[in-house]
Amino acid sequence: MVEVTDLHMHFGAVRALTGVSFVARDGAITGLLGANGAGKTTTLNIISGLCEPMHGSVAVDGRPAGDPFDRRRHVGALLDDKGLYPRLTARENVAYYGALRGFSGGELTRRVQRALAAVGIESLADRRTHGFSQGERMKVALARAIVHEPRNLILDEPTNGLDVPSARAFKNTLSRMREHGVCIVFSSHLIHDVSTLCDSVVIISRGRTVAHGEPEHLCRQTKCRTLEEAFLALTGHEEEATCLAG
Amino acid sequence: MSGWMTVALKETRDHLRDYRSLRSAAIYSLMGPVVILLVAQSPAAAKGGTPLLLSMMSVFALVAAFTGGMYLALDATAGERDRGSLVPLLLNPISSLHLVIGKWIAVAVFAVAGLVVTLAGFTAVFEWSGIEPPAGTTGPMLLWTICGLVPVALLGAALHLLTGVASQTLKDAQARLSIVTLVPMMTGMFLVFFPGTIGQWWFAIPVIGPQALIGEALRGHAVSLLQAVTLAFLTLAATAAVLLAAGRVMSRTEIAAA
Repeated sequence: MVEVTDLHMHFGAVRALTGVSFVARDGAITGLLGANGAGKTTTLNIISGLCEPMHGSVAVDGRPAGDPFDRRRHVGALLDDKGLYPRLTARENVAYYGALRGFSGGELTRRVQRALAAVGIESLADRRTHGFSQGERMKVALARAIVHEPRNLILDEPTNGLDVPSARAFKNTLSRMREHGVCIVFSSHLIHDVSTLCDSVVIISRGRTVAHGEPEHLCRQTKCRTLEEAFLALTGHEEEATCLAG
Repeated sequence: MSGWMTVALKETRDHLRDYRSLRSAAIYSLMGPVVILLVAQSPAAAKGGTPLLLSMMSVFALVAAFTGGMYLALDATAGERDRGSLVPLLLNPISSLHLVIGKWIAVAVFAVAGLVVTLAGFTAVFEWSGIEPPAGTTGPMLLWTICGLVPVALLGAALHLLTGVASQTLKDAQARLSIVTLVPMMTGMFLVFFPGTIGQWWFAIPVIGPQALIGEALRGHAVSLLQAVTLAFLTLAATAAVLLAAGRVMSRTEIAAA
């Protein structure tokens, strides 16, 4: 479980976050929905332990995680950069990250095998990743992010650049992980992905949380038929939200 | 296994598969011995004699020590950023300093290996050409290698890493490294052409020190063990300082990446 409370973050004069709060439950996919520059990526970077907020807190699995190293240990993250080492095989790429997280010997081998199996890329495990397709690279990057079998997984627009079969396979993988009780926080600006995959949606606009709840709840709250219209209504685009205009 | 050792092993394994870079590094390492071999055949070299060839050798050896791990340093720093693997790496629970130390160990291994290839090449060329070092220079040459060149290889590895970490792109890093590489080249050439400028304290300056040391030995002046050990110690201290700086720059990279 990830609990985010009142995150604030400035980059010089740019106020990236001005009050983001939400709770992402175990065994559920929580989608962060927002326009470009709304603050989704900054929020995910903070949860993943890449940077510290200027104000506010993050708790992981009920424990306050003030130390970014603590968050890195308990969270698996697949952020915007998903580069692999092209001269290493898929297995070696995943094993490198497993070793960096302190696993070795038979334990490391088993975890790497489980991670590769979880994303369905065992058949390519011993091929160098140079020349892998976008979808294959994404799967290896995901296996690398879950090699320590985290209870919490952070994904920043993971289906960007994937073709339809790869995106479908990726979403199926996430659904399986949800069934195993993993807490998944998923950012996207693709409403379709969020509405079909997420159990709960957090709408972020101009650096702050403006709504949080199940997609149906958000539609009822705004008297809109679709999540897209509810999103527009909640993010200050009322003129484009036909539900409110009507 | 500790984090820095994991990084060092990964970088070494990865670079051993980069055949193009290995070939380039080998050519770079053997460039000096080949040039000396060609010069040794010329009548002008016969006039200048062995000291001229040994002076030239010292410059090539200094440059080889300094640049031996350059390709790996580039790939392990700016290369990580270019292929988008730096941020995922920073998401692991390992400190920036440990990341830098792990990468430095791998770069240093290749830098020292490049130096060994260069020195082996010189030995073979001197054997083949019948060039004998002046009497009494064997000891100083050993000191020059162990206390001068090997520490320079370690310092060069650290400087290349710092340059790579501080660069935004691979191209940026290549441009900066071409300037950094000029330091030993210019230093070596300057001391070959202006040997009279060497002061007592020059022996203590990293990069300049080895050249001052070998220059004095070839001119028949005494080289003390204390001078050589001081040089090695100060070069290693400079290496540690550069590595700490690289770790700090890497920490700032985390913030910038965020």
